[in-house]
Amino acid sequence: MKAVARILLLFCLVGSLMAADNSGRYERLGGKIMCSCSCGQMLLQCNHVGCPNSATMIRQLHEQVAATSATNDDDAVLNFFRREWGVTSVVEPNRRGFELLAWILPFAGLGLGIFCLVLVVHKWHAAPAAARSPEKMDPRLEALRARARRETEL
Amino acid sequence: MPLLGDFCLLFALALAAYSFVVGILAFIRKDEVGYRLGETARRAGIASFFAVTGAAIILVWAALTNDFSIAYIQEHSNRALPTPYKIAVLWSGQEGSLLFWSWLLATYAFVLRVRHKVDMRLVATTSMVLAGIQVFFLLLTNFVANPFGMMSTVAADGNGLNPLLQYPEMVIHPPMLYLGYVGFSLPFAFALAALMMRYPGEKWIHITRRWTMVTWLFLTCGIALGAHWAYAVLGWGGYWGWDPVENASLLPWLSGTAFLHSVMMQEKRGMMKVWNVWLIFVTFMLSILGTLLTRSGLVQSVHAFAQSSIGAWFYAFLAVIALVCVAAFVKNRKHLQSENKLESLVSRESSFLFNNLVLLAACFAVLSGTLFPILSEWVRGYRITVGAPFFNKVMLPIGLFLIFLTAVGPLLAWRNTSLGSLKKNFAIPAILSVLVGIGLIPLGVKPWNDLAYFYAWLTFVLGALVITTIGSEFIRGGRVLKDKLNTNIVGGMYHLTRRNMRRYGGYIVHFGVILACIGIAGQAFNQSKEQEMAQGDKLQIGRYTLVGQEYTEDDNANYQSNAALLDVYKDGKYITRLSPEHRQFKASMQGTTIVADYSTLKEDLYVIYEGLNPDTGHPIIKAFINPLVNWLWIGVLTVLLGTGLALVPNAAQLKSPVTVKAAAGVVEATGGGASMRPAGARK
Repeated sequence: MKAVARILLLFCLVGSLMAADNSGRYERLGGKIMCSCSCGQMLLQCNHVGCPNSATMIRQLHEQVAATSATNDDDAVLNFFRREWGVTSVVEPNRRGFELLAWILPFAGLGLGIFCLVLVVHKWHAAPAAARSPEKMDPRLEALRARARRETEL
Repeated sequence: MPLLGDFCLLFALALAAYSFVVGILAFIRKDEVGYRLGETARRAGIASFFAVTGAAIILVWAALTNDFSIAYIQEHSNRALPTPYKIAVLWSGQEGSLLFWSWLLATYAFVLRVRHKVDMRLVATTSMVLAGIQVFFLLLTNFVANPFGMMSTVAADGNGLNPLLQYPEMVIHPPMLYLGYVGFSLPFAFALAALMMRYPGEKWIHITRRWTMVTWLFLTCGIALGAHWAYAVLGWGGYWGWDPVENASLLPWLSGTAFLHSVMMQEKRGMMKVWNVWLIFVTFMLSILGTLLTRSGLVQSVHAFAQSSIGAWFYAFLAVIALVCVAAFVKNRKHLQSENKLESLVSRESSFLFNNLVLLAACFAVLSGTLFPILSEWVRGYRITVGAPFFNKVMLPIGLFLIFLTAVGPLLAWRNTSLGSLKKNFAIPAILSVLVGIGLIPLGVKPWNDLAYFYAWLTFVLGALVITTIGSEFIRGGRVLKDKLNTNIVGGMYHLTRRNMRRYGGYIVHFGVILACIGIAGQAFNQSKEQEMAQGDKLQIGRYTLVGQEYTEDDNANYQSNAALLDVYKDGKYITRLSPEHRQFKASMQGTTIVADYSTLKEDLYVIYEGLNPDTGHPIIKAFINPLVNWLWIGVLTVLLGTGLALVPNAAQLKSPVTVKAAAGVVEATGGGASMRPAGARK
């Protein structure tokens, strides 16, 4: 089990590191920007014929990806679009300031849930054990009960 | 006719109000007079169903007969609209869909009130709660969004149905979703009634189990149909865009799924009573929130066809529900004390706890992401957009953890599981899933390529883990029954399932969920290409070559269309001809895409006609290769099958006379071939 866990952990680390690879950066960033023509589609998915904005936005995306290729600064590209086309053009919240809260909230919720769960379990364990009935003390009946449980689970 | 419809609605409101008020009186009195009052309230509730049904039939009839004196019909229908879509007019706009809500609620309540003998006292109080909900919706349909509003002048033709809704699945997608949303009213009403009455035992849970499963089934079906419709009609190559209204349907689904799991803890061990009551309260409130999001325009959505300023009414209703729930809970919370405690963290109970935690974390993540633009507007003065990239990043790790729990949960026993038995049960599935992971790498699923590839790879590995654990559960149980019943392993597994339909139906649901996840994971390998194509031009994508053969135009009473005829070759061999289409609807002057899809179990070749290039006059074709997407739909069908099986009652136990000699530790059976002896005593 430990070996499996280690292999999985290794893949997690490798996966996270490789995610920083520059390949497909244009596609990835294009998937975070919304076309501003009110079609409600992502920039690279906009199939609105004669769209007044998507051609310009796609050209700008190409330029920005090329301009930041040395630093791979995705935030700079997204911020450019926020400035040029408004904050709603980027569909992923910023990772700074108030918008960081959007990223924190889901995991804070999970963390709070785990904390509450641990508290409840701790409370259950800390509570004095209920007096066991004589019936429960009988090992033969306990064995039969365990067996019945096993077999009725089928 | 419109006047008759109006009358039906008003009459239904009066009857529902009577049922509600007199139901409260009956609940307070608790004597013979109270019982009789309760009976009149029940009958009034039944009558209100017929009145709402009358109103719904009149509206559909008006659509079928092109009665454009009714504003709603003029707005949402036209003469050339095909008949099935005229029926769909009932739920295609604000006023009609609220009437449809009322009718579905009245139908559910009607079934309950007719079957009141299942538990007359509990059903009487439940019926009172349902009548309260009915009053709210009938108030809306009577005074806020009346579907029978009249036009001052009668138009020759109507504006027509939204073209996006003119698709066969759209005729059944909204009713399925509504059946899901409205259906949660029933377990909610039962839970609230049982709490208010301090009803002893878990009977309300036994009664509502099937209701909840049926509701969950409808909601699942509705969500899947919506996803399939988006895939087939919207023409962007995907099926789930994390649109706020899509999210709204996912919220009660997630909390309802948590409820379906945690309720087993209460049934089997008398635990988590407070949790279950609140879970169903929250699920119902999320259903109402879903309707609020769809109707109010609170969030920007592609489902804008149903928006209006009705939100304030829903806010008020939500506040009233929350207040009633809190008051009932505070007053009766002592009734909800747990009968047992968690004995071990390695047990079925703890797996349900974690499962609930993760499902609710997913629910919270979707809710916070959906509502964050509103929060941003309040705090910063501008509304940011939270879209698919955010949800994918947040939900994927949560989803993968949930798949892991799905694999581990069935291997744990109630109360306590020894590490030894866990190792024994877990070893083979774990080894097989690791082998699957290794085997995928030469096939091109290299987790180090990209984070999307990594998530896809992990989904396949965990999916294999779940499938092998489910398989091992069936095989292990099948083997035991094979010996007992003198049959083969398949017969053993059949009898195993028939003996505990709920449990093994549940496993089939889990299997379906994994198939769906495999379909979703295929997105990591999507490809797309767009090209302007004159006759004879070729578009190469993956192993497919598309050759433009012909471009046609058509015109009928409802729409004009442009279509392309494309021959498809795979590795140079002709396989099919596809015809993507673009339709322009005359009444609404709106366009829509008709996707051409060559679908196999391995991948879909998905082609759309984007329109004509105004400069060259040539069509623009966009093609996608969407791997594994069919498994998503197969997975959904498997989920529906599993849920259906779980709803079937268990087969009667074997009719073999059994003699129990507990003291001797021997259980003997004769006639049926079943024989259980202690270890070592087996002959």
